Amino acid sequence: MLSSAKHQRNHRLSATNKNQTLTKVSSISSSSPSSSSSSSSTSSSSPLPSQDSQAQKRSLVTMEEVWNDINLASIHHLNRHSPHPQHNHEPRFRGQNHHNQNPNSIFQDFLKGSLNQEPAPTSQTTGSAPNGDSTTVTVLYSSPFPPPATVLSLNSGAGFEFLDNQDPLVTSNSNLHTHHHLSNAHAFNTSFEALVPSSSFGKKRGQDSNEGSGNRRHKRMIKNRESAARSRARKQAYTNELELEVAHLQAENARLKRQQDQLKMAAAIQQPKKNTLQRSSTAPF
Amino acid sequence: MARISSDPLMVGRVIGDVVDNCLQAVKMTVTYNSDKQVYNGHELFPSVVTYKPKVEVHGGDMRSFFTLVMTDPDVPGPSDPYLREHLHWIVTDIPGTTDVSFGKEIIGYEMPRPNIGIHRFVYLLFKQTRRGSVVSVPSYRDQFNTREFAHENDLGLPVAAVFFNCQRETAARRR
Repeated sequence: MLSSAKHQRNHRLSATNKNQTLTKVSSISSSSPSSSSSSSSTSSSSPLPSQDSQAQKRSLVTMEEVWNDINLASIHHLNRHSPHPQHNHEPRFRGQNHHNQNPNSIFQDFLKGSLNQEPAPTSQTTGSAPNGDSTTVTVLYSSPFPPPATVLSLNSGAGFEFLDNQDPLVTSNSNLHTHHHLSNAHAFNTSFEALVPSSSFGKKRGQDSNEGSGNRRHKRMIKNRESAARSRARKQAYTNELELEVAHLQAENARLKRQQDQLKMAAAIQQPKKNTLQRSSTAPF
Repeated sequence: MARISSDPLMVGRVIGDVVDNCLQAVKMTVTYNSDKQVYNGHELFPSVVTYKPKVEVHGGDMRSFFTLVMTDPDVPGPSDPYLREHLHWIVTDIPGTTDVSFGKEIIGYEMPRPNIGIHRFVYLLFKQTRRGSVVSVPSYRDQFNTREFAHENDLGLPVAAVFFNCQRETAARRR
């Protein structure tokens, strides 16, 4: 019940998210916003249709490939961002958030990566939202971002697409990142801090979205797969054993029946004599 | 080929995890509590397997001798059996056509106590070359290796094998 609600929320978030990324992309490629809205509607209804729409783009993708993508993307992301933020941003964020430092920094770099893109396309993307109101901006940008990773692990199609978009975005932004971080980080900081208590859900999921947990999930999935295979093998072994036993018992049963028939025949041959003898013995009456 | 791959020992990965093959030349029955016979893949509760079973060798003759090994390849858990195997029981010099009580118990029976997951407990019967041919006795139950043991004592491949599954008494069982 609760998890399904979370799922829905994830889908919805990822949908809005994708909208965003798509609009961001549209600022570059100027693609029609109608496509994003349609895909968002499909993804919010169910993850499969949107995956289909993806399938057109990236042919057929197996689970393994997707997982590889996820790991690679998160690793790349880490490697690219770790040098800068370790020196520049970390202390500031560390002071504000008393959570796991390593995952947190990744998460925030992740956010910053997305945020740093903001200045360039602000006029288009956040044209509707008032720029002065920082909270709305962060609600738009920070809260939707954590879920994608969760969505990815939940195998929603929308999440996959987001990931594909994410990598190029992040890479292109890593340069911007260093230049703009001072101007952006401040505005973002305050808003994020304000956001922390309200979006505990998004934050928790966000922390999970880093690479370590991805690995853990991956491991757990593999483990589960092995366990399932073992379970199947166990069942199969038991079934085979029972089948063998049935065959064995049937053979034995057939053998015993044949033996019984033979005994009956032998008895039938012998009995008439006995009967006649008995009759003769009882005849004097 | 089809027959081999449908062999419960093969499907249950006893052949592969514990031994390389099983000759199945001799019939062996393992019976707990005088009425619970062990069939491959059966699940037995720890309470059922507390005391050593009756193991009968239906083959060979009084001049042939057999070694029985009971081992758990799934320690501590089947998903990561890094302590494989744990030795539970060794009886040597069992004359053919008799049962395990006529043999020489060199490692006492230890009741299965599976903690993590569903363990396989494997009974293996080896044919000895002669009486008293088993001289290399493992000093620990942990990190036992059936293949090594068989090799050291020149036992060759097992002539009979049977395994059952066992998990914690309180484990959640789906029905």
